[in-house]
Amino acid sequence: MSRKTGRRLFWVVCLAVCLAGFLLSVLTGPVKTTPGDLLRFIQSHDRVQAAIFIDLRLSRAVLAFLVGAALALSGAILQGYFRNPMADPFVVGVSSGASLGAVIATSLGFEAAAFGFSGPGLLAFISGLGIVSLVYVLSLRRGGFKVETILLTGIAAGALASALTSFFLFMRSDSYDQAVFWLLGSFQLAEWRQAATIAPWFVLCFVAAIWLAKDMDLLALGDEAAQALGCPVRRVRKAFLVMSALLAALSVAVSGVIGFVGLVVPHWVRILIGPGHRALFASSALAGGTFLLYCDLLARNLLAGELPIGVITAAVGAPFFLYLLHKKR
Amino acid sequence: MAILEVHDLSAGYDGGFVVRDVSLTVEPGEFVAILGRNGSGKSTLIKAVQNLLANVRGRVVYDSEDVFRMSPRRLAAKIAYVPQLAEPIFEYSVEEIVLMGRFAKQGRLEKASAADVAAVDEAMRLTDVGSLRTKRLSQLSGGERQRAFIARALAQDASILLLDEPSLHLDISYQVEVYGILKGLQKDRGKTIVAAEHNITLAAAYAERLIFLKDGAIAAEGSPGETVSAANIRAIFGAEVDIRENLRTGLPEISLAAGERRE
Repeated sequence: MSRKTGRRLFWVVCLAVCLAGFLLSVLTGPVKTTPGDLLRFIQSHDRVQAAIFIDLRLSRAVLAFLVGAALALSGAILQGYFRNPMADPFVVGVSSGASLGAVIATSLGFEAAAFGFSGPGLLAFISGLGIVSLVYVLSLRRGGFKVETILLTGIAAGALASALTSFFLFMRSDSYDQAVFWLLGSFQLAEWRQAATIAPWFVLCFVAAIWLAKDMDLLALGDEAAQALGCPVRRVRKAFLVMSALLAALSVAVSGVIGFVGLVVPHWVRILIGPGHRALFASSALAGGTFLLYCDLLARNLLAGELPIGVITAAVGAPFFLYLLHKKR
Repeated sequence: MAILEVHDLSAGYDGGFVVRDVSLTVEPGEFVAILGRNGSGKSTLIKAVQNLLANVRGRVVYDSEDVFRMSPRRLAAKIAYVPQLAEPIFEYSVEEIVLMGRFAKQGRLEKASAADVAAVDEAMRLTDVGSLRTKRLSQLSGGERQRAFIARALAQDASILLLDEPSLHLDISYQVEVYGILKGLQKDRGKTIVAAEHNITLAAAYAERLIFLKDGAIAAEGSPGETVSAANIRAIFGAEVDIRENLRTGLPEISLAAGERRE
């Protein structure tokens, strides 16, 4: 099968699965609803049902899709950026930094909301981006910076942020329940407002990533080779780092830290459709959104109460990742 | 008129200059090899003359234009580069790799035009990788991979080709094959070729002019017959060798005088 046919098949299947996921999400919840109820609602516009279908369930499904798409796109960008199929938003410290911000906010009782984010969400966003900026500045050298330096600095900064997070959790163990929401992620508090806040940024980053996708293909074979082929390497690298950090920090700000999506999804998509970054970025976003939509369905329905979604993504993602690694050999 | 002029070029990395005050000119259609020990500045020089290094001083002029003031896109249309062979990371096909050579001629969202396809086909024909079109880089031998990267540089449609140790990590048959392709490009296509090379005998067999670097400065320069001498090899490489003439071609060849190494 050629890569082109493979790509088409991937898109058709993924879109169908994605739409089915939206339908399932809208139909499942604490209040029992049937497809018949949904059909009747579409014809009659009942107010109570509007609250259930549109405000509670569809908003949650849309947010889960957007966050999944953002995380997978961020991962796809970083894997290209570091020329390493094992990279994800954790390696530059965004996720750990954002956790730290959220945990500080919950342990200090910081609740002021702004720009459609909750207090912890806002602080998570700021500290997530803050850590990446710090990592970037620390990696700068005379005559540019090395990709390897950013990677190692990011891992070190992430470890430091994790230590501080544990410290705050230990000191203020009474805020632990609330902190779990941020450390393992959840869409329990999903609202249209959050989706509306991140959607424009996601679209902006997505368009920019597609615009620079060919440049990323060149970077995959070395910075000097890429520049010799006509790619303005430094500017392109900066743009991609900003995009990936922004996407990851926004996701954490609305739903907490959700692991494995940014690692597994782009990795799997690359195996299916090849390494060309234009198709990879678009397909990763679609597949990541779909993946998280289903993970959220599981999180809501597996037990009587809600599970943190990070538990599901890791439980599904890690074995799947091992399978991919094994299959490749 | 020279196609490439290098005036008092010093270049290096974070730690300082590796190449110091090098001046040289390359004529159109020439095949030049840059030789020297490891760390003598061969690769640094190859990178610096196409503005790939941040730490540079001096001037490089391509066709009366200042290279250090040209955008990467503009430079890519004039100078093509074949970097040192590296392990591929992602599974690009040979065709995808060669098409990357057209980057500077395409819009960012554009698909390959008829001209792009023609250039890619021509480049693959000249390097004989047409049959490998859909193969992944990881499925290729070292020699095939090197040919694919030469094809990518050819797809750029630049008149000068800079290569960084094209024979490195290759079996001797592939070394000869790669240099044969380069010689053909020079002869039949009028390409100017400048290659950093560690293998003196190989360079002497294909290049018309050799430039020897020692500690970042030019130590000797001229035709293989003029420069490949026992005295030069001793002074530049610190190796005791005998030089003979090849019976068939008359070109100088190095034969090792075993057991007589000096520091």
